[in-house]
Amino acid sequence: MPELQLKFMKAGMQTLVQDLGRSGHQQQGVPISGVLDRQSAKAANEIVGNSVDTPVIEITVIGPEIHFDQSCKIAITGANISPRLNNEPIANHRLQNVRAGSILSFGKMISGCRAYLAVAGKWNVNKWLGSASASTISPELLTPDSVITKGSTISITTNDQSIHSTTSIHQTVFTNIVRLRVIPGPEFEWFTKVAIARFFSTGHIISQAANRMGYQIKTSGMEHQKEMISSGIIPGTIQITPDGRAIVLLADAQTTGGYPRIANIIDDDLDKMAQMKPGGEVWFSLA
Amino acid sequence: MIKIMPYGDHALLVQFSQEINVEIHRKVKALSELAGKLKGVQYYIPAYCSITIVFDPSLTSYSLLEKEIQEMDLKNDSEIIPGKHFRIPVCYEEEFGPDISEVAEFTRLSPKEIVEHHTSVSYHVFMIGFIPGFPYLGKLPNILSCKRKDHPRKEVAAGSVGLAGKQTGIYPAKAPGGWQLIGRTPVPLFQAKNKYPFLIQMGDLITFYSISGEEYHTIEKKFELGELKGKDFYA
Repeated sequence: MPELQLKFMKAGMQTLVQDLGRSGHQQQGVPISGVLDRQSAKAANEIVGNSVDTPVIEITVIGPEIHFDQSCKIAITGANISPRLNNEPIANHRLQNVRAGSILSFGKMISGCRAYLAVAGKWNVNKWLGSASASTISPELLTPDSVITKGSTISITTNDQSIHSTTSIHQTVFTNIVRLRVIPGPEFEWFTKVAIARFFSTGHIISQAANRMGYQIKTSGMEHQKEMISSGIIPGTIQITPDGRAIVLLADAQTTGGYPRIANIIDDDLDKMAQMKPGGEVWFSLA
Repeated sequence: MIKIMPYGDHALLVQFSQEINVEIHRKVKALSELAGKLKGVQYYIPAYCSITIVFDPSLTSYSLLEKEIQEMDLKNDSEIIPGKHFRIPVCYEEEFGPDISEVAEFTRLSPKEIVEHHTSVSYHVFMIGFIPGFPYLGKLPNILSCKRKDHPRKEVAAGSVGLAGKQTGIYPAKAPGGWQLIGRTPVPLFQAKNKYPFLIQMGDLITFYSISGEEYHTIEKKFELGELKGKDFYA
């Protein structure tokens, strides 16, 4: 079976190998990790005929430049970062045939924040605790293949099977304003009725401090002086810091925290958060 | 008495009496190990006096898990399994514990007295969190209580032993951090190459003892050569 090498001529802003993460080790303080927009990543793998837990490349805002030394089949989903194959624009959410020697590059950010590149075949990448997702600690030791830098290579064993992919996978349109449904959290009652009313009746702006661990969101009137004993936090948990910032936790977040948890975003809506950029507007509503 | 409540649409939170003590924590440990094996549970996070349990809604439901956990809790008391007891060597020399002078100033103790107090008690592992395998140990003798650093370090060396508030802890891997560093252990808490990479679990007991810089390097070398293993440090 042919061995394909992806060679990264440019790394992009934050380009990572991710899969569905390492669930089952959180009692040891291990972040879940994994793709932030799971629906888009799964769609990319489905289009190329891979199982949904196959690794993908998660591309954030600025795309990499990739050389393919063998022919293969790829699909790009999620954010539209103007992908080009050998300098010709290609569409997201479509199966693309790539010839040996081709170059995939990206351009202007059109919508969303994170794109997913799936490549048909078996990914020969290092795993830690059952997952190829880039580790947040000691990635150079634990998941050396998963943090892409200039010159990185990834080896994939391709197969010549024809692909029976679902052709009509729905493509989400990403906007710069989003409504997320939440369920009240364990410390919901700690906040005054006025503070809660304001939390749900205005839009909140995502600050520059937004990464795979979590997004900080500006709120007003949420300051508090309550202390709690540290307890579990999961992707989708919204914590409120003493100075009144809301933090929406995402896949790379630590597993425990000591800030009051006002609410949890319902799981189906969390993928939308991953496609938001700093400056975007978030509205919360009770599920 | 436990309180169970929804935590988003695919998790639940079990809350015990909200205080930090070993008795309550033993119940957290026992119940979390049982609950972690229930059908549909994807992962769980035990803490000081709570357990967060995340489930797959296609395999179970909030109401079913709530019922199963309530029933388990009723017969939980007799099934408490004690954790392991470790004796962990720590070099408290300034080279390994760069904040020991700052802590001495703050606590009005000499570095020698800090070491005596820090090694005088056994610590219960209340929680693993912050970074993989990081144990939150309590309770620290009151006299050693000190605030976190005003400016967290960008990188703390693996094995560093720190103080924060009424807690002490050990960095299993290099990471940014704001704890006051008073020493470092050559015993790796985290070995990536092992099938089971974590030495310490919540519910374990840890006693520290003081070693010289020379002993630190000897133990470090022996781990590299495979002549020492984590289990050699069971008390």
